[in-house]
Amino acid sequence: MKATILNAMWLAMALSVLYGCRQKSDDGEENISARAVRMKVESQPVKAELTSPPLVPKPVGNRPPQKLIVDMEIIEEEGELADGVRYVFWTFGGTVPGSFIRGRVGDEVEFTLKNHPDNKLPHNIDLHAVTGQGGGAEASFVAPGHQKTFKFKLINPGLFVYHCATAPVGMHIGNGMYGLILVEPAGGLPKVDREYYVMQGDFYTKGKHGEPGLQPFDMQKAYDEHADYVLFNGKVGALTGDNRLTANTGETVRLFVGNGGPNLVSSFHVIGEIFDKVYIEGGSAVNRNVQTTLIPAGGAAIVEFKVEVPSNLILVDHALFRTFNKGALGILEVSGEKNHLVFEGEVLEGIYQPEGATIQSTPVSEAGAEPAKPLTKPEKMQLGQRIYNTACFACHQPNGEGLGEAFPPLAKSDYLNKDAARAINTVLRGLSGEITVNGKKYNSQMPAQVLNDQEVAGVLTFIYNNWGNNGTEVTEEQVRAQRK
Amino acid sequence: MQTPVFIFFSALLLGMTQGTVKNGMSRVEGGRYVPMYGAGKNEMVTVASFEMDRLPVTNADFMAFVKQFPRWKKSAAPRLFADAGYLKNWTEDLSFPPSLSEAPVTNVSWFAAKAYCECQDKRLPTTHEWEFAAMAGYQHRDERRDSLFSARILAAYETPKTYLKPVGQSRPNYWGLYNLNELVWEWTSDFGSVMMSGENRNADARDLFCGAGSLNATDLMNYAAFMRYAFRSSIQARFTINNLGFRCAR
Amino acid sequence: MKSLFFVIGCVLIAACSGTTETANGSAEKTAAGEEIDGMSIYQLTSSWQTQDGNEMTWKDLEGEVLVAVMIYTSCKAACPRLVADMKNLEEKVGKTPVPVRYILVSIDPETDTPERLKEFAGLNHMDGGQWLFLRSTEDNTREFANVMAVKYARISPLDFSHSNIISVFDRKGAMVHQMEGLAVNNEQTVEAILTASR
Repeated sequence: MKATILNAMWLAMALSVLYGCRQKSDDGEENISARAVRMKVESQPVKAELTSPPLVPKPVGNRPPQKLIVDMEIIEEEGELADGVRYVFWTFGGTVPGSFIRGRVGDEVEFTLKNHPDNKLPHNIDLHAVTGQGGGAEASFVAPGHQKTFKFKLINPGLFVYHCATAPVGMHIGNGMYGLILVEPAGGLPKVDREYYVMQGDFYTKGKHGEPGLQPFDMQKAYDEHADYVLFNGKVGALTGDNRLTANTGETVRLFVGNGGPNLVSSFHVIGEIFDKVYIEGGSAVNRNVQTTLIPAGGAAIVEFKVEVPSNLILVDHALFRTFNKGALGILEVSGEKNHLVFEGEVLEGIYQPEGATIQSTPVSEAGAEPAKPLTKPEKMQLGQRIYNTACFACHQPNGEGLGEAFPPLAKSDYLNKDAARAINTVLRGLSGEITVNGKKYNSQMPAQVLNDQEVAGVLTFIYNNWGNNGTEVTEEQVRAQRK
Repeated sequence: MQTPVFIFFSALLLGMTQGTVKNGMSRVEGGRYVPMYGAGKNEMVTVASFEMDRLPVTNADFMAFVKQFPRWKKSAAPRLFADAGYLKNWTEDLSFPPSLSEAPVTNVSWFAAKAYCECQDKRLPTTHEWEFAAMAGYQHRDERRDSLFSARILAAYETPKTYLKPVGQSRPNYWGLYNLNELVWEWTSDFGSVMMSGENRNADARDLFCGAGSLNATDLMNYAAFMRYAFRSSIQARFTINNLGFRCAR
Repeated sequence: MKSLFFVIGCVLIAACSGTTETANGSAEKTAAGEEIDGMSIYQLTSSWQTQDGNEMTWKDLEGEVLVAVMIYTSCKAACPRLVADMKNLEEKVGKTPVPVRYILVSIDPETDTPERLKEFAGLNHMDGGQWLFLRSTEDNTREFANVMAVKYARISPLDFSHSNIISVFDRKGAMVHQMEGLAVNNEQTVEAILTASR
């Protein structure tokens, strides 16, 4: 908002005094921000609590507006996009997404942006919560080894994205330079039991998804918007396994969900839940009983839901290839007593497949048919583990324990151990229809995997030689035989 | 022995066999080209022939200079001409970790770099000259449209801590110049001609931020150049930075 | 032989650094015997030409408070406003115990000859002794701009784009204040000048 608009808001406020309550419903928001501009702050400055994802700072509650000191460091550092896949991230505060900032309407923020001396590039920050030139982009533009301080007042409540806005801006964002700032209304948001910070982003690497080693940013793919990774919180597995989110039955969970982009819009969905409330686009309008909410690149939403029954809720971008193949998957584990009134356990939670229920027609001929020398068993195990951790673990889980009613276990699995040829076929061609594993019925769908013979042999050998399975070593010849 | 005298003689003695020798200068044939910024939209800029150091100035080179001109010692350089980080990786006025000897000197201000070059009877290259020399790949004078060329540069820009590596270890470009894009950013004489937005109501906004960053650029796919120009617009002449060094021209 | 000559030249002429050479960092003294601050612009040895065609260096202005801006006379947009800003400052500051010098440095030395600067001063009613118009070589101009953190670029044969920054230097030549932007509130700048000239 420019100064002229602010002036208009003053005018609107003056008018509303004259006309009393008549305008209340229409320009209530303008009144809030105009009033915020005039709010006095406590004289004693307070250092803002900043948190790394998925945590958020404590709520503002009833505190009055104050001077908020925010200290943020920009760090360019090598990290992991997925197991074995290295990437040089550019970060606000050392994490992707950057540190979560929390304040309230009327706060006066003194923001210091520090560019680490070892960084190679200048950076800055554009906070969508800031009213003023470039959201602070110009005032905060800072060379490596230097720092800049600028000030602004929080006048609009909501959940806002911040990001680096230095040319080439798409690359700065594509390397992880985004995060969220929450501006709570006076009195704070309603109290809930759990709050988490989740932010989606798309990544573009020279190698295809899962290719190990240090992967440089791929400018052409970014330009073409062909993402190799679509991630929650900057890494495959950032919200699964030991990193999963947790809650107890009966609690109300609030997720602050952002989308850094740079390119893709998120169809944010939690499998197994309905959002009781969605603060649409992070603003003040609340929608209720929502299944999937759209989060634009450079936008955010606040979603709230009460978790009623114990289960693993699955956070996805419901553009599901991103979930299946590119990493956009998180788990919220709900523990507690079962509630049979809400969930009987016989209704299956399926994964939506845009192609319908038939098996996808991925060609079964071997992809990339270069003759390679046969691997030793330890080499197979190593290769297999890598593939498992990129292609399989999201559904079958890190220790083959399976997930919910949809994804059968691979650990001590009678179905698996009974027939290796069938297992090979399942990997090559996918599987749909009802099967029984360890006495429990599953009726879901597994997509065909695009892997070469060596990789199929590797991943199955890895699975067969772990978690109490029968130790079968699957050979490339066996895989080849099944392709015919 | 790496004094300016030494450099001068090596240039004299070895300068003929361009491409095989690392010390000394290479001649860059002048020409016309469209720079990323700094000229009108798609406007050609003429660059006259000039010579450029094949290598970035190293810590060893700079030590020789400082010995001769104590004014530029770490402890003596006036704050007007270098901020408090001047030569901060040096342990003392006349010593640095041995591993840095052949690494490019960094944490030197524009004033210090300018003084160094002038004391070798050289000067800093202009931004147009630097960009002109650096658009050459291994084979041609201008490989900016070659996606492999761009990808190589981008990958180098993203690699951390390259300022600790020795100079001259990779392949020289068409002109016989080493490391233009691999180790450190380099000062240019008129880096201050790269404008940020808001400082200028006179001409079109030269805004390097966000979407507006594309307004005055001539080649929207040249991300490497975007990064260099953004860097130049972020710095001041007193600044000293870990990843910023220089080489001279003539 | 030639290289040896250069080295000697560097030591003797000291021009190679663009700044004075002081032996082993021993601080220079001003006429009043005070040490020159490490941030003082008196350390610039560049020579400048005034609107009256006289040659001078920054050190010649020792003991005065300096208010400096960079402009060019053929400029149609920002410079008239910068000139107005300078005049506003001069008016508000008024008479002071320590003399204040208002300096307009040309970023287009080729066009802005002393004659032209003189004419420009007259047209803008800036003929008083407190007004100083300067030009030097392109190299010296860039160096001075770098000291002031002013960025500028020639964008057409007659036009430049440039930062709009007014800087205040104290009696020892150290920068004490900068005002950035056009027609911004100048209260702080006036205060800085008054403080420096007390």
